[in-house]
Amino acid sequence: MKRVLIIEDEEIMLKLLKRKLSQDYEVFTATDGQQGLDMIKRAAPDLILLDLVMPKMDGFGVMEEITKDENLKKIPLVVISNSGQPVEMDKIKEMGARDWLIKTEFDPQELSDKVKKIIGT
Amino acid sequence: MFNIFREKKQTELNLVLDDLTALEQYIHDLFNFSPLPVCFISPIGVILEVNPALEKVTGFKMDEVIGESIEKIFDKDEASFLIRDTLKEGVVDNRELLLLSKGGNKIIAQVSTRVRKDENNETVGFFISLSDLTRIKKTEAELKRIQEALLNILEDTEQARKKAEEERNKTEAIIVNLTDGLVFFDRNHNLAMINPQAEKFFGVKAEDIVGENIKSLINSGNFALPAKFLGPEIKTVFRKELVLDRHTILEISTSAMGSEGEDLGDLVVFHDVSREKAVERLKTEFVSLAAHQLRTPLSAIKWSLRMVLDGDAGKIKQEQREILEKTYQSNERMISLINDLLNLSRIEEGRYVINPVALDLAKICLQVIESFKDSFSNKGLKFKIFQSSLKPIFVIADEEKLKLTVQNLLDNALKYTPAKGVVEVSLKQIGKNVRLEVRDTGIGIAKEEQGRIFSKFFRGSQAVLIEPTGTGLGLYMAKNIIEGHGGKIGFSSEQGKGSVFYFTLPKQKKGVSL
Repeated sequence: MKRVLIIEDEEIMLKLLKRKLSQDYEVFTATDGQQGLDMIKRAAPDLILLDLVMPKMDGFGVMEEITKDENLKKIPLVVISNSGQPVEMDKIKEMGARDWLIKTEFDPQELSDKVKKIIGT
Repeated sequence: MFNIFREKKQTELNLVLDDLTALEQYIHDLFNFSPLPVCFISPIGVILEVNPALEKVTGFKMDEVIGESIEKIFDKDEASFLIRDTLKEGVVDNRELLLLSKGGNKIIAQVSTRVRKDENNETVGFFISLSDLTRIKKTEAELKRIQEALLNILEDTEQARKKAEEERNKTEAIIVNLTDGLVFFDRNHNLAMINPQAEKFFGVKAEDIVGENIKSLINSGNFALPAKFLGPEIKTVFRKELVLDRHTILEISTSAMGSEGEDLGDLVVFHDVSREKAVERLKTEFVSLAAHQLRTPLSAIKWSLRMVLDGDAGKIKQEQREILEKTYQSNERMISLINDLLNLSRIEEGRYVINPVALDLAKICLQVIESFKDSFSNKGLKFKIFQSSLKPIFVIADEEKLKLTVQNLLDNALKYTPAKGVVEVSLKQIGKNVRLEVRDTGIGIAKEEQGRIFSKFFRGSQAVLIEPTGTGLGLYMAKNIIEGHGGKIGFSSEQGKGSVFYFTLPKQKKGVSL
């Protein structure tokens, strides 16, 4: 079973995402950027879902660290955020994210479909 | 002896007499010869003798005046004063009198007199000598006239100079005290003038850069930044922003100055918008932050409801589903409101048109219309589309924003047109532009509210009654987007009958991109 890591500080969102994606994947979670970074190294996920605004280390910090590592850089990364200002989006793409989505514009099924499209099941 | 003496005496007497006669003749000749008009007057003012020069100047023959009163040739009053003064003082020097000529002309003459006395010291009369001042007077009058004219001219010139100076001072005061920076380049692109505010903006001194060509200003010195911005040819700009430093943003406009078709040069205006920009930034940041903070719980609600509705959290009853579905719809409305606010703050930041590409406006319209079809039929509205051609109509635009604009116009038509009404969308090509029109038979807009219809947060009083939840941002955004794309937006409306909203965008050839 493929592994998905969700890095998200908001409890309810994390719970919902986990529940949805657990139908098809082995799901790992982290609630801040620092923890997420450790988990990326330990769990070797096939895909990372990354929130932007988080305590300790935010999503930009996580992406910065990932890009320093040739192996981690290869892992598909999808940013999930509540913001989505054009400047942020440009920056996210520049930093190597596969995709970004604004949480209010998506529902769990659409997210699940997106993940399937990127890594299959 | 006695006879001899007598004879001798007689001879001597004759000699004396001869001498006297000769002398008299001499004097007479001299009198006649004198170019100076002279006459001899008796103490009571009778002319006793005149010389030819006087005849000439007065035009009277000798026999016409001798024996006549002096008043024949002089003004009556002046003559009596002259006689009185002469007899009293013995002489009158250089008095100006009017001489009356035969022809009736009055000649200005300068007159001197001197009394003549006999051996008993009795006054026997007086001489009058006069010189004709007419020509001198004429010349004098001419000179005076010229002098006056010159003085007038001088005075006029002085007045004009003063007025010009006042105007200049006024203009200078305006230029000097203007809170905008002003710089003037002559037609050869040499800096001809810089006002104190512009000196302050760029930290330059007029005396250091006036006369310099823009090309050399670009290369060095504190004026290099604005000079580079303007370019060596001083390009035409209107309200373009120039970031000077962290605290100062200037808006630059240029204006070509000309007089009667002659190119005089370019005026460059630097308007300090730092404060406005700072306030705008703060406001935008606030709106962004607020929108972000509001979206977080909304997305949690959305996802929770969706998962429950999708059965991911176990089976739910039909009644529960209906309630949750309604809640989900309300939440979606909240989300779209927040999105409006976010979009709005982005529009105002000027970074809204982020992805301009060549788009088929007809296709975009049909896509948006498609998503509205159900809503129109559900409400019982008749919906028509007119398209002048089925060929693609390309415009350079940001797809998302253009869709949003069409959506906003259709959304208004849908909301504010009562059941059984008609909504028509037409797409026409007019010259170099394409025009989209949305016509409805809705509630219309009251005349007194029409001026504010594109204002931020403004909502028509009728519209509020029908749709209490609107944000008053749709048309405001539409206007910003269309104008940001170089187009025009407008409307006509009659209350109770309906409205027509339209926008035009410049057409592009296929495949052209920015």
